[in-house]
Amino acid sequence: MLSLWLRRLSTDRIARSHEVSAPLAVYGKRGNAELIVAVDTAAERLGLRAGMALAQVRAMHPALQAVAEDVGADATLLDSIADWCLRYTPLVALDAPDGLLLDIGGCAHLYGGEQALVADISGRIARAGFAFSIAVAGSIGAAHAAARYGEPASYTGGEERSLLAPLPLAALRLAPETVSALARVGLKRIGDIIDLPRSPLTARFSAQVLRQLDRAMGREHEPLNPRLPVAPYVAEQRFAEPITREADVLAILTRLAARLQFALERRGDGARRIELTLFRTDGALRRLAVGCSRPLRDPGQIRTLFAERLAALSDAFDPGFGFDMARLSVLVAEPSPPEQIGLGGGEDTAEADRLVDRLSARLGARRVRRLIARDSHHPEIAAAAVPAHAAPADTGWPAFRRHRTDAELAPRPLRLLTRPEPIEALAEVPDGPPLRFRWRRALHEVIAAEGPERIEGVWWSEHGGPARDYFRVEDKSGLRFWLFRAGLYRDLAQGAAAPTWFLHGTFA
Amino acid sequence: MLQQLRQRLQALQKTAGLESDHGALPLGIAPIDAALGGGLARGALHEIAAASEAHLAAATGFALGLAAHAQGRLLWLAEDMALAESGAPYGPGLDAFGLRPEHLLTVAATQRCDLLWAMEEALRCRAVHAAIGELRHGAIDMVALRRLSLAAGESGALALLLRGAPAGDASTAATRWVVEAAPSFSAPSPERRGEKENATRLAVELVRNRRGPLGAWILEWSDSDERFALATHAQPVAAPALDRPHRKVA
Repeated sequence: MLSLWLRRLSTDRIARSHEVSAPLAVYGKRGNAELIVAVDTAAERLGLRAGMALAQVRAMHPALQAVAEDVGADATLLDSIADWCLRYTPLVALDAPDGLLLDIGGCAHLYGGEQALVADISGRIARAGFAFSIAVAGSIGAAHAAARYGEPASYTGGEERSLLAPLPLAALRLAPETVSALARVGLKRIGDIIDLPRSPLTARFSAQVLRQLDRAMGREHEPLNPRLPVAPYVAEQRFAEPITREADVLAILTRLAARLQFALERRGDGARRIELTLFRTDGALRRLAVGCSRPLRDPGQIRTLFAERLAALSDAFDPGFGFDMARLSVLVAEPSPPEQIGLGGGEDTAEADRLVDRLSARLGARRVRRLIARDSHHPEIAAAAVPAHAAPADTGWPAFRRHRTDAELAPRPLRLLTRPEPIEALAEVPDGPPLRFRWRRALHEVIAAEGPERIEGVWWSEHGGPARDYFRVEDKSGLRFWLFRAGLYRDLAQGAAAPTWFLHGTFA
Repeated sequence: MLQQLRQRLQALQKTAGLESDHGALPLGIAPIDAALGGGLARGALHEIAAASEAHLAAATGFALGLAAHAQGRLLWLAEDMALAESGAPYGPGLDAFGLRPEHLLTVAATQRCDLLWAMEEALRCRAVHAAIGELRHGAIDMVALRRLSLAAGESGALALLLRGAPAGDASTAATRWVVEAAPSFSAPSPERRGEKENATRLAVELVRNRRGPLGAWILEWSDSDERFALATHAQPVAAPALDRPHRKVA
């Protein structure tokens, strides 16, 4: 476990964004007082510490630059550093507010060992202008404590005791009240409590103390909570020279996909969602994801999908000074039976699925839709358009067709408006069809009407709305509309709102 | 060598929309099939325009009726604005129109170029039997139209363009239709109000045909056969031009 502590995250952030020469301090409101919360090296040399009152510090050092704290900006910065750390391992967790945890087990050898990896991170972070310390230890607690309070170095499992004993109790990530309570009875260092009898300690303070101690000592396992879900299949490639051209990116992609194909085939899986992560030399990340309607393994098809995705980006594909690393991860994998070749019907479906994938990759998955039928009498809910990727195998239409013939359902319009549009309508009798109506500023004289078809509102829900009487009407020029009156006149007596007319769709 | 080049040139010069290697799609309406030379040409582009913006639903119905003849996967491509303005295709309604909603794939595009690209991709795909592109306003780029015709010609899919108003511009389309909703009663009268409505009726005019004569017909949707038929008991707005050769043009 590697713990990275960015000692002066907020002051480093301000120093990076604009020129600050004088000593810098960040202040924030704690309770009713404005206190210093972070200081940079120059301010520290002046003897300033976090926790001092701002007014007092200003009086002491008029040249001090004091900037209000911005927790959101700090969190965003930490997030982007965490993103950048993905180049070392997919298991990166936030150790808020100013630290990160990297599980480097199994990845260190890619960089030529733990030492080389730490040197690589250190070099890059120092160049980016951050003060930091890094410690590697067997457990999360030990790495955290060593990075902040101990000697930043590498420790192996079993060294926890000698590492932790001299450190203050605050290194165990305990609540400040617990730490001060322990200090009152003379327990100040971790070494003071390691060998104490356990039950009185738990009774006097809380179970948390021993739990944190056990976790730091490696006696109890503490799971890492990675920021991003870990992909089941990953292939990555680092480049000696940064690449900038789109063609190169696609070539690398094909090579990575070919490597993934191997792993996928071995376990009989196919990819449903694939992400390409490009690491730019300046630390920024580009993520591109594509989805597929059926489990996919073929590198050629994966390449085609990403080519569409890149084409849709056009100018947004900004390589800057180039990408120095690429990673292809399968985010969602599904069992996929071995390919069958030469089945007439299947071939056609496969072809159609490929078209859906290509269109979705270029236009966005929500723009390519399939219609499904739902079991509802409400016209808006009865049919829906869902993204073709996510469409269920059973679209519900066969059941709908049976229902339509059984119940002799009244005709439904060819095109349905997204939401019913209010119209001004004049009816001869209150419950009858309209005589004429005005929709989108045009007046329509009704010459024929069919109806009403009463569709009750969703009375079991608060937002169900009133009952609707639907009419199919035809105007003088032969245009056919689907109108409804929301609300019934008989409810007027009970204090309901007056019925209003809406136009909901058009017939051929 | 020269012969080869000539042959290649000839292949390149093939007029889109005229080659009949994909066969025709008979509509089952004798006079229309006769005018079209056997039926609607597969692998060609056909333009269907509404007589005016208000008649768009009628034009939609006609386009869907034609696409239903192609039997198979159907793509509906439209711009976001068009869907917001006149509504999205509604599954239960399509179902009554002889189209299987499960075969329909809708594509919403933000820009016209995206729509044309998607339509071309769809037409090149062998699994798609028909694609309807709703391009309502404005002129369409000639190059894009020709690309669509060629794409349809390659795969034999039916390419239909749905337009909001009749367009007078040059086009590579094999046929061009103007569709208008027709009253379902031959003589509209106020006494008919409240009576059950008759079947859907459309006035269809063939205004451009690269293979034969033009004409105008009134079609009626027949629920039992799930297809259009000539409305025999209705007065046609205009008899087909072929039927009155004796009449002099004023």
